[in-house]
Amino acid sequence: MNVRASMVVLMAAALLAAGCGDKGQNYTELTPSSATAANPSELPDHQTPPDRLVFRLQIKEGQVTPTNKQFQAAVGQPIIIRVDSDAADELHVHSNPEHSFKIEAGPGQLFQFTVDVPGKVDVELHELDKTVATITVR
Amino acid sequence: MNPVGSVTVVAHGLGGSADLPIPLTYALIGAAWALTFTFAVVALAWKRPRFDPDKPGRELPAWVTTAVDAPVTRWAVGLIGLAFAAWVGLAAFLGPQNSENPLPGVFYVLMWVGLVAASLVLGPVWRVISPVRTVHRILGGRSLRSYPEALGYWPAALGLFAFVWLELASPDPGSLAAIRNWLLIYLVVTLAGAFVCGTRWCARADPFEVYGIVVSRLSALRRNPDGCIAIGNPFDHLPSLPVRPGIVAVLSVLLGSTAFDSFSARPQWRTFISDTAGSAATATLIKTAGLLVFAGVVAATFWLAARATGGVDRQQRRALPGQMAHSLIPIVVGYVFAHYLTYLIERGQQTVYLLLGMDGNVNYFLSLHPSVLSTLKVAFVVAGHIAGVVAAHDRALRLLPKAHQLTGQLAMMLVMVGYTFTGLYLLFGG
Repeated sequence: MNVRASMVVLMAAALLAAGCGDKGQNYTELTPSSATAANPSELPDHQTPPDRLVFRLQIKEGQVTPTNKQFQAAVGQPIIIRVDSDAADELHVHSNPEHSFKIEAGPGQLFQFTVDVPGKVDVELHELDKTVATITVR
Repeated sequence: MNPVGSVTVVAHGLGGSADLPIPLTYALIGAAWALTFTFAVVALAWKRPRFDPDKPGRELPAWVTTAVDAPVTRWAVGLIGLAFAAWVGLAAFLGPQNSENPLPGVFYVLMWVGLVAASLVLGPVWRVISPVRTVHRILGGRSLRSYPEALGYWPAALGLFAFVWLELASPDPGSLAAIRNWLLIYLVVTLAGAFVCGTRWCARADPFEVYGIVVSRLSALRRNPDGCIAIGNPFDHLPSLPVRPGIVAVLSVLLGSTAFDSFSARPQWRTFISDTAGSAATATLIKTAGLLVFAGVVAATFWLAARATGGVDRQQRRALPGQMAHSLIPIVVGYVFAHYLTYLIERGQQTVYLLLGMDGNVNYFLSLHPSVLSTLKVAFVVAGHIAGVVAAHDRALRLLPKAHQLTGQLAMMLVMVGYTFTGLYLLFGG
C-alpha cells in the first residue's frame, strides 16, 4: 500500500514537473492543449493511448460526475483516475485485491492502479456512497 | 477511518470484483441445449414414472451408519459447530471492525453458499452443526408445546427472505453491525422457537436448516426406510421433499433472489436507483420491492404452471404446486452454483484466512480463466434445468391423468425454459 501510494505520488510529481509549469496543486490535463515544445517524457502518452485507461472524476458540492460509468480495460493495464474534489473522501477500487485511495479537497489528484484478476471492478466513493464506474477487466 | 461497525458498501458486503459476464455464444449454446432437451423429454422420454422416493438406495457398510449416528459423533460435531459459532461471535464483536473481520465472509459465503455445497454432498448437515440445536440439547431439550403444523415452512421462507433482504436490499450489507443484529435476532427467534415448540421448530422454521433440507434432496447420499445410510439416484431422492405449506415460497425466494442479485448488478438498474432514490431509505424500499417482485414472479409462474392441467378436481389441483415443488430444487442449486461459485471458492479461501488470522494468498484460478468459468456456469444452469425438467416430467406422469399428461406438462416446461433463459440472459449481462 505504501509503495503504491508513494508511486502514485512520484508519478503525480513527475507529471506535474512535465506539465505546464504551474507550481500549485493544479495539474491541468494529461493531454495539454498547447502544442508548444513537445516534452519527450509526454510522448508515450500520446502515441499509445490504449495502454492506459484514464478518466476524470469530479466531486462538487456532494455531486459526483460521472456515476455508474462503464469502462473496459485489460488485465495489468494501468488505470488512472484524475480526481477534482472539494471534499475529502475515500476511493475504493473493488478489485482482487482491493485498492483504496484517500481523496483530499483539491483539484488534480491522480491515482493509479492495475487490476490483475479479471472481473467487473466497481470504483466507489466511500463517504458519498456512490458508484463512480464499473471497469470490466478482461 | 471507517465509522465503527461500517465496512465498505458493496454488493454482498464482501468487496472484491464480480464475475465477468459470460459471452453471448455461451449463453446461446446453453439456451439451445436447454430448449432442445426440454422438448425431447416431454415428447420422447419415458411414459411411465420411473423415480420412486421409496426405492431403497445401495446400502453403505453398516459401520458408516453406526459411526454417523453414534451419540459421540453427534455431540462432537454439534459442540464443534457451537465452538465455531462462539469463535465467529467473538471475532464479530472483538475482532478488527473493518474489512479484516471474517464475519461477512462467514455469513455470506460459508453459511449461505457453503451450506448448499455441504448439503449437496453430505445431506442435511445443518441439523447436526446447528448451534441452536446443540444449545437446546445441552439445556435438556424440553419444549412447551408442539409445532403448529399449519405454519409449515412459512417461517423459514420469511427467514430466508430476511437473509436475502440483508444481502441485496438493505442499505449497507457489509456493515458488521447489521450482520450482528441479523444474527442476534436469528438466534433469539430460533432459540425461543426451539424452547417453545421443540426441535421441530428448527426443522421447519430455521431458514438455514430448511435450505439445507431442500438442497440435500438432490444429494446421492440418503437414508433408506430402515435408517441405513445409502447411496442412490438423486432423482429417487428428490420427490421425498416434504410437501408442507410454504415450500413453494421457500424455493421462490431462493431462485428469485439469486436472479435479482444478477439483475441488480446491471448498470441500468444502478443508474435507475441512484437517479430515483433521494435517500438510502428510498433506495432500500425500491430494492425491497424489486426483490419481492422477483420472488413473487417465480412463485406465481410456478404456481400457475403447476395448476395448468386438465382432468383433475379442485382439491387435486390445489395440491399440485407443492407436489411439483421438488423439481425446482435442481434449478435453484444449478443457478446458485453458477452465480456464486467464485464466491464460494475465492471468497471462501479469503474467509478461512481471515478466520485463522493467516496471511495466505488466495488462488484465483477460476477468475483468471474466464472461459473455464463461463463454461462451468452455463453447464450448471443447463444441468440444473435438465434435472428439473426430468424430475417434473416424471412427477407429472405420476400425478396427471393419462389423457392430460402431455398437455399438462407443457406450461411447466415453458416456465422452466423461461427461468433458464432468464438466468442465462442475466449471466450474460444483457
